[in-house]
Amino acid sequence: MSTNLAYATPVRSPREEQHPRQIEIVSTRAQRRARPRVVYAVATVGGLFALFIAQLLLSIVISDGAYEISSLRVEQRNLTRTEQNLGEKLDLLASQQNLATQAEALGMVMNTSTPMFLRLSDGAIFGAANGAGTSGTLLGPDGTLVANSLLGAIPLAGDTEGAESAEGTAALSDGATSTSTSAATTTRTTTPPAKTATPGALPSPVTR
Amino acid sequence: MNNPRSTRRRLTATVLAIMCVVGLFVGRLVDIQVVSAEELNKESLGKRSINLIEYAARGEIVDTNGKILADSVDRFDIIASPKLVKETFKRKGADGVTVKIPFMQGVNELAEVTGEDPVELVKLLTTDPTSDYVLLAKAQTLDVLDEVKALKIPFVFNQVRPSRTYPSGAVAGNLVGFMGTDGAQEGVEYAYDSCLKNVNGTSTYERSSDGVRLPGSTVTTKEKKDGGTIKLSIDSDFQFYVQQVMAARAQELGADWATAVVVRVSDGHIMAMSDYPSVDPNNVDAANGKALGSGAFNTPYEPGSTMKPLTAAMLLDAGRITQTTEVNVPGALYTEGGGRIKDSFSHGDLHYTTAGIITNSSNIGISILSERMTPQERREYFLKFGLSQKTAVEFPGESTGLIPRLNANGQWGDAITTYALSFGQAMQTTSAQVASAYQTLGNNGVRLPLTLVEGCQQADGTVTDLPATEGIRVVSDKAATQTVQMMENVVTQGWLSSTLQIPGYRVAAKTGTAQVAENGRYGDDYTISVAGLIPAEAPEYAVVVTFGKPDTMKTSGAAAPTFKKIMTQVIKTFRVTPSTKPAPNIPQSW
Repeated sequence: MSTNLAYATPVRSPREEQHPRQIEIVSTRAQRRARPRVVYAVATVGGLFALFIAQLLLSIVISDGAYEISSLRVEQRNLTRTEQNLGEKLDLLASQQNLATQAEALGMVMNTSTPMFLRLSDGAIFGAANGAGTSGTLLGPDGTLVANSLLGAIPLAGDTEGAESAEGTAALSDGATSTSTSAATTTRTTTPPAKTATPGALPSPVTR
Repeated sequence: MNNPRSTRRRLTATVLAIMCVVGLFVGRLVDIQVVSAEELNKESLGKRSINLIEYAARGEIVDTNGKILADSVDRFDIIASPKLVKETFKRKGADGVTVKIPFMQGVNELAEVTGEDPVELVKLLTTDPTSDYVLLAKAQTLDVLDEVKALKIPFVFNQVRPSRTYPSGAVAGNLVGFMGTDGAQEGVEYAYDSCLKNVNGTSTYERSSDGVRLPGSTVTTKEKKDGGTIKLSIDSDFQFYVQQVMAARAQELGADWATAVVVRVSDGHIMAMSDYPSVDPNNVDAANGKALGSGAFNTPYEPGSTMKPLTAAMLLDAGRITQTTEVNVPGALYTEGGGRIKDSFSHGDLHYTTAGIITNSSNIGISILSERMTPQERREYFLKFGLSQKTAVEFPGESTGLIPRLNANGQWGDAITTYALSFGQAMQTTSAQVASAYQTLGNNGVRLPLTLVEGCQQADGTVTDLPATEGIRVVSDKAATQTVQMMENVVTQGWLSSTLQIPGYRVAAKTGTAQVAENGRYGDDYTISVAGLIPAEAPEYAVVVTFGKPDTMKTSGAAAPTFKKIMTQVIKTFRVTPSTKPAPNIPQSW
């Protein structure tokens, strides 16, 4: 039977018609927990990149260091050689032959007699040498008889005061056959002029 | 979209991408390792890996105060590569301007700096243009090397040559020895080579193309080892003085050779041992052949009257005589077989005590006294004194000397020899042995081993090669002391008293003028010597001074002034205190 009864169709509210309901699918808590987090991935990849960069930087620094080491090695080698060279020259100047020759060129003599004393306040010398052979030079006019071929022609200390240099260079080379006198008898009891001492200082005579 | 399908697609794409990249790498790997491996290996070999010699230094030889006598230094060989020689070369000056220098100018500059002949240099550089190495100048100092480098010649290079230098020259030169092309030749350099020897290290490293070491690539294949330091007992300043005065006097006297030995009595250490002629280890070629070793150790001679105190000491020790034993000394002593013993001065019968025999150095007197002991006993004493054997130093080339052996009957077979041995003839000794015997007399009769080397100190501080210290009792304390007293009378009462006395100090000494045998006969030559101790009351130093075959003065009086000089220097150097009591006066005659 058809009816012509009107039946009401459900009426939507105007609000609902203008805004159709949106359906969201929400994951459950379990699903949310199971999902991998982005942070970890970012951290891992970022860490890897950081490692690569660090390694790159380190290797740059090491290479740089290698260049520095190389130049420092050369510097060290040169300095060591210079030190050794200077040490050699010092040893040579400190050799007995050189010291004795220079000392006698300056006019120093040996004292082979009773001890002599120097009074500091006025430079008076006591204990006069007595007799022959009491003081003199060790090296004769031909210089040292103990050869040292390394010395060559070292200028004598006395040269700066105008002494003869020709004698000096001969004196330092190998001693030729000679008859050298062993001792001269010179006794000196000179009294250099007194010097006014500064208060509190040790009294000392005028020296060269 | 269907998720599973797009996921799978993305996954596949990623995997494919990764596999492509891996494939690329594998391909490249195969290429390098397998395909072009050979040529790459060849190319790399020698281009990057460098062998490096790390030079170690040979040990130093120092004196007792640490002063260096033998030193290891770097010298530099100037080498060149003829391959790189061109007509001109470019040099950049200090102002930045590059100048073209012709070849000859470069050679001349090089010759001037190194002291070589420019013609020689040109010859070396142009003889073989394909050669890569030629030696231009050997063993140059750092100063010369710096100047060569400043010339900036592109075909000139340098290499290190470790060398030896002796800053004090001939001071102790005969003891220190020297090096030759094969290594150590003489002296302590040779005897203690195992201590001084250095071992060069080797290492390899890899080098970049601009010459820089690749970091972390150094591999040491052999560690370098520096040599140890040898310390001598010699005081080199004192040694210089002794050598100088001995050389001066030897030249004045025209002696063939001369030795001086100073030994510290308390431990047998040699303070100075001087030889004339001496060798400068820096310049060995200039020395005459005999001077190369140490004459004090290797040249035996008949010592003469300096042996009389030994005879007296052994007789005193055995109780056969006293200081005042009375002897009737005739003008000559005749032996069976027609031999004759004489004194150095002719005299009639003299009444000498033992002390008088020593003071007047009477050959006849000591011969008569020596009859109181059998040859067996006498020879035993001589051996205990260290004669007829090497000293404890065992120096290279050292001679044992000789006390003649006894025959089957315990005799020396020849009456002259039997007597002569009591006054130092018919026997051979070295200066070192005489010094050792006097050290014994000074040390209350105990002979200590003669010592030259105090020890070898390695780089790590350990000390090896320490000398022996055990002594041998030769004669009793009393015998030795009484002998020294009699020797003191030689200085106070003998004919050389004015020359030998040192005011304020008590010195004991004995002179000797020994005849030198040539072709089995005694001729006109003598070996003069003086041996003594200071201070006589408690000896600290023994000094023996000997001149061989002097021409101008042939008596021991010629050696006495030098002996006194050396004694004075001993006093100054080693601070010997002055004596407080006067010397005893032992009756010389009866």
